[in-house]
Amino acid sequence: MSQVFHEIEKKIISVLQKESNLTPEKLENLTQLSADQVRRGIEWLRLKEIAIVNESKIVNISLGKNGLEAYEKGLPEKRLLDLVKNKPKQISELQKQLGSVFGPAMGLAKKNNWIQSKGNKISIIKFPSPFPGEKILKQIGSGTVSKNEIDQKELSVLLKRPEFLIETTTKTREVSLSENAKTLDFSKSESGAIDVEAKAPEVHVARTHPLKDTIDEIREIFVTLGFTEVFGNLAQPSFWNFDALFTPQDHPARELQDTFYLDGLSAKQIGNAEQIRKVSESHKKSWRYYWDINEARKMVLRTHTTCITIKHLAENKPDVARVFSLGRVFRNEKVSYKHLVEFNQIEGVVVGPGANLRNLMGIQREFYKRIGLNKVKFWPTFFPYTEPSLQTMVYNERLGKWVELFGMGIFRQEVTKPLGINKPVLAWGGGIERIAMLKYGLDDVREFYNNDLGWLRSATKCQ
Amino acid sequence: MPVVELSYSRLQKLIGKVSKKQISESLPFLGLDIESEDKDLVRVEYSPNRPDYSTDFGISLGLQGLLGIKTGSVKLKIKKSNNYKINVKPTVSKIRPYVTGLVAKNGKIDDTIIKQFMTMQEDLHFGIGRKRKKSSIGIHDLDKIQFPLTYSTTNKNHKFIPLNESKELAISEILQKTEVGQEYGYVLGNSTIFPIIQDSKGETVSFPPIINAAITTVTPKTKNIFVEVTGVNKADAEDMLSIVAIILQAAGFTLESVSISGAKNSTPKFESRKLSVAPSLINQSLGLDLNNSKIISSLKKSRLDASVKGKNIECIIPSYRFDIFGPMDLVEEAALGYGIEKLTPTLSPSETLGAIHPVSSKLKSLSLTMVGLGYLEALNSSLTSKRILYEMTNREPKKTISVLDSKSQEHTILRDSILPGLLENLSRNIHSAYPQQMFETGTVFLNDKPIKEQTNFAAVSAHKDANFTEIKSILQSALKTGFNLTLETKTSSHEAFEKGKTASVVVNGKTVGIIGQINSKTIENYKIRVPVVGFEIYLSGLIFD
Repeated sequence: MSQVFHEIEKKIISVLQKESNLTPEKLENLTQLSADQVRRGIEWLRLKEIAIVNESKIVNISLGKNGLEAYEKGLPEKRLLDLVKNKPKQISELQKQLGSVFGPAMGLAKKNNWIQSKGNKISIIKFPSPFPGEKILKQIGSGTVSKNEIDQKELSVLLKRPEFLIETTTKTREVSLSENAKTLDFSKSESGAIDVEAKAPEVHVARTHPLKDTIDEIREIFVTLGFTEVFGNLAQPSFWNFDALFTPQDHPARELQDTFYLDGLSAKQIGNAEQIRKVSESHKKSWRYYWDINEARKMVLRTHTTCITIKHLAENKPDVARVFSLGRVFRNEKVSYKHLVEFNQIEGVVVGPGANLRNLMGIQREFYKRIGLNKVKFWPTFFPYTEPSLQTMVYNERLGKWVELFGMGIFRQEVTKPLGINKPVLAWGGGIERIAMLKYGLDDVREFYNNDLGWLRSATKCQ
Repeated sequence: MPVVELSYSRLQKLIGKVSKKQISESLPFLGLDIESEDKDLVRVEYSPNRPDYSTDFGISLGLQGLLGIKTGSVKLKIKKSNNYKINVKPTVSKIRPYVTGLVAKNGKIDDTIIKQFMTMQEDLHFGIGRKRKKSSIGIHDLDKIQFPLTYSTTNKNHKFIPLNESKELAISEILQKTEVGQEYGYVLGNSTIFPIIQDSKGETVSFPPIINAAITTVTPKTKNIFVEVTGVNKADAEDMLSIVAIILQAAGFTLESVSISGAKNSTPKFESRKLSVAPSLINQSLGLDLNNSKIISSLKKSRLDASVKGKNIECIIPSYRFDIFGPMDLVEEAALGYGIEKLTPTLSPSETLGAIHPVSSKLKSLSLTMVGLGYLEALNSSLTSKRILYEMTNREPKKTISVLDSKSQEHTILRDSILPGLLENLSRNIHSAYPQQMFETGTVFLNDKPIKEQTNFAAVSAHKDANFTEIKSILQSALKTGFNLTLETKTSSHEAFEKGKTASVVVNGKTVGIIGQINSKTIENYKIRVPVVGFEIYLSGLIFD
């Protein structure tokens, strides 16, 4: 038990050591504290198991409309008997004098054999004293009396009569001290000590965005694996987003329903004349359709970051390179717990003598290991611009199943040759939010962009 | 990616001696992702480059190879027949110039098979048929048709009973009133002539690429099938037909040829191609050291024929494998046949040194500085709505950059400013503890022949005592600590900022942004109940190019 007490607590304890079972109201009087201070003090002491709070219900009785009338004018049956006490009276006269209470008064008096009727006259048999209920009527009067203080037999008589009595229930709290608190001595505790075990208020940390943390972590891992970051625009001519990557112009992925086209925007400059000529020839030869340069000029929000790396390769034609691009990509999707219209992707390439599929798998496996995902396997898949193509499957312990992460492959010669890239190029890439969801244990990808302070202030930084 | 539903027990019958477990373990290594499983049924996703996997017949051929039960190429056996002819009239050249076809006899058809054929047809139409624009298939009951057929054109008043209808409809009615007509009529554009296949009695067989005639409907009673493919180029139509041919043969039908003549059309040959690959390309690409016989056996497991020819390995590619373009496709076939699960990852030292892009480094420094100043980093989409970007901040939508046909109302235009998003974030957090201080760095988009992208930096501070001096101190400190830049503030105005409490931010004599207290109208729009101060400046050209 903590032995450090607040001034409020001390005052309450001293009062309770003198007198037990006090209501908060009485405590207010005796301690000279405010109602709120007493309330808080009691709560603190209760949590420390110093104070015991007994809650009880008290039922109070007061008079209703008919009860009050009976209290002021006498019970209706008494008023009736008073009128016939001396001599019998005509019914009509009694009715006139008693008004609305005549009926109930007659009923009760007859039932108890206090009166008898002859012809149309009423005469007395017996005059009881006191009348049943009369005593408590006086006891309650115009005030309020606790139910416990009232004769229960009398009470039951009046409770049956309409609008005689009103019952009201109130809750009361009574505070007393636990056994060891009764002998607490404050003079022994050190002055100036504080409750070091008490809870401290929360302060909110300022922090980088959790998704940014994952992005930075992934960026740094690939840098340590020898990759250099390249940048490029989010809005791209279709040429670099699709045509240069061997995606035919009539391919379903290029339709409005999957890709965001910028309304009315076309690029004047999309590449050099040779690039355009050779890309269009490659399309015509392989896909057998009319290749339209105007389609290639249409500006789109990039659907992958591959358009940045392929452009980099086309411009630099390196013999040896490890390059990656990381950033926002866009898909015209319905937003849901697993789809966003805008998300982050990292995508990279490897050029060089050691550029083979097993090495690419090795780079991927190393990346997953460093980010904390140890159970990975590779399955074949299909991408229009790589051949062969693989996808990484990573085991998600929390969901208990394999989930698909990065894709990879070797760029098709139909992609590289027209752009003058003569070395084999390995390519890999995928979405970052999926990995961040695994790290932060999220099931709804939208959480990353809600900017909900509740989540941002509470998400653990290192997981 | 398209999905096909398979039954393990049916696959077992088609493949031969194989357990359910072997099948389910092999499917992913054929490139088929298992989407869901329910006892005997399994739904798999297949790649659009392998339309032969649109039925269990095609998948069985692949699994037989991978499991080593039957390897090498599947040969199409097509009996030459003189009974079936299609004459093509020159007018079709203006609308849908090519037709091709074949006949499949003595097969057993049940409801499951009809279902498989229907998914195959749909997937072929959508994928390589490009929504029937490039090519489309019609599958008919052969015994309801009198050969020879004529492929010609007709006008909009031509009548016949189309599939799933009980009475005759004119072509114009089919296009306007039926579901398929409305969906695929676009292929024919505004043409006044329409392609039509009719038999020798003048009965309509098909109105490609829209609908078949009801009379030729394939039912479980059908024994013999006639398949026609029409299209805008001959090679694509024949490719599609070869997929149907291999599947019908695998389903147990005997194939017979249909001769086609007239208007540049000719009988399909279903010829296989020869393609060579250097063993060194395979080994270099995969990081393996396989000898020729291992390469050949791997290619055979991928259902290709292969043999050594000089220094190279020559493959015979059956006509239905038109997804194979060049040697790299053979590298993949060898890898699949060898077994992707047998490819072990290796990690060789990098030949290059890595580096973070300077812009990334600078943005990270800025983030850390802002965090040190007590600001939390927010992330918002660059695609947003007119409501958030303009209406809420009382700004006039000038030349907005919009995307076409967005599926989401909240994502229709590209942001030209970050601040409105941050205010929206404050608005959604009015029940969280104050003070609330947030910042964001990100791309904004400006109109500039055609478009200019720029990196901006914005921050907001919301609490009961928020004031101009506070936010100026923050920006001043961030620029000084991060980039040794000194700022000045000059009286200015802005639709979202309070008059008299707004300034432009000037660095080295250049205006780089706006700072001040957000005005009450904007705050009310966002239902924020405390004062808000904030700023937005551009970083492109200031701390990096």
